[in-house]
Amino acid sequence: MMRNEIADALTGRNIAKSFGKFRLDIPELHIPEGFATALIGENGAGKTTLINILAGIRNDYKGEVTYFEEKAHVNDAGIKERIGYTGSKNYFLSYWTGDQVRELAGLLFDSFDPVRFDGICKSLAIDSSIFGKTGKAVSKLSDGNLMKLILATVFARNTDILLLDEPASPLDPLMRDMLSDMIRSYLAEGNGKRSVFFSTHNISDMESVTDYCILMEQGRIVEQGFVTELKEKYIVVKGDKENTEAARKLLLTCQANSFGFEGIALAEDMNRFAGMQVEFETPSLFQISVAIMRQNTALTMPEIA
Amino acid sequence: MKLLQNSGIPIYKQIAEQLKSDILSGKMKEGEYLPSIRGLAQELRISVITTMKAYEELQAEGLVTAVQGKGFYVNAQDTELRREQHMRKVEEALSEAIKAAAVAGLSDQELVETLQTLIEFSRS
Repeated sequence: MMRNEIADALTGRNIAKSFGKFRLDIPELHIPEGFATALIGENGAGKTTLINILAGIRNDYKGEVTYFEEKAHVNDAGIKERIGYTGSKNYFLSYWTGDQVRELAGLLFDSFDPVRFDGICKSLAIDSSIFGKTGKAVSKLSDGNLMKLILATVFARNTDILLLDEPASPLDPLMRDMLSDMIRSYLAEGNGKRSVFFSTHNISDMESVTDYCILMEQGRIVEQGFVTELKEKYIVVKGDKENTEAARKLLLTCQANSFGFEGIALAEDMNRFAGMQVEFETPSLFQISVAIMRQNTALTMPEIA
Repeated sequence: MKLLQNSGIPIYKQIAEQLKSDILSGKMKEGEYLPSIRGLAQELRISVITTMKAYEELQAEGLVTAVQGKGFYVNAQDTELRREQHMRKVEEALSEAIKAAAVAGLSDQELVETLQTLIEFSRS
């Protein structure tokens, strides 16, 4: 199984959607089958809009999205059964209780396993006061518990792809670590046929489960690739202040202070630093992501008085 | 398998090195399948692509062969190559000893005698 034999779990072509000044414009989208793909980008980059389009929640867009080998549409018979989607806002109606969530998930999806669902809720110590005849409404749950409940409904089903919109944000560090384990187990059980696509701001916490990465800025994909490849494409460069100005010309992003500088460069430009006193380091996915975001952002550092 | 997070050596290299030593030492036999890519990623709590890269390294070195849909199995090992690999390890370890001896101010004669003593010890 070599890299060039990797199939798409999901393919998108000419996906476009505008509202106001925002324009989502993705000529091509490939989510590799059998891997976990992270969608990374600033707030407002269009991550949720994209996931909603892929999940079939938003249908007012131009372009084409197809699933799996058979190039099926999300609304084709049986396809939604194979997709597990999670979002955060208004995922459940606010007055539903835990029992209603369990019952409705069973009505919506054939493969929903209520026993597995109860097992996951117990394992993740989801606030049990939402269950039973006098169960409380899910709107009473904390953000963390609500996300755990949402994840339980998805992991209690037998699916082929998960589309998770910011699953890690409301979770504590331990639970993020467990989510990473759950994703790895899900992929291992699928034996190369299951895929996960998740958006996240928690890049460092999720790096150990990220295989492929898609970086979005202002409605466009600005970088993508397998994490191992991105780590070979970019390099962290650190040096003393004497070299700051010379190095700045070779760096994609440069943070200078009175002692020296730190930045990210293309690894292929490494030998152009010859003659400068610099150190190289393999970047983390967080460093790569932030560097690319800095290149494309409209933000600037404000003066803090 | 022990993986160090902050050693500066990429995780995939650490995995490849450890599997390589298992293969060259004969701990993993010819024809034996490596753990599945996703199974190993799950066990080691690392990304799938990291394991995949480790296996691709082993494949590039001719130590394993990939079979579509089945995984990676251990190739027959060339005894000459194996000896060479072991020889390199011995040379590395002895070079370390020479460096340490220099730091300690040992003469060449004393170093050789130490080695001889250690050989005799290990035999008794």
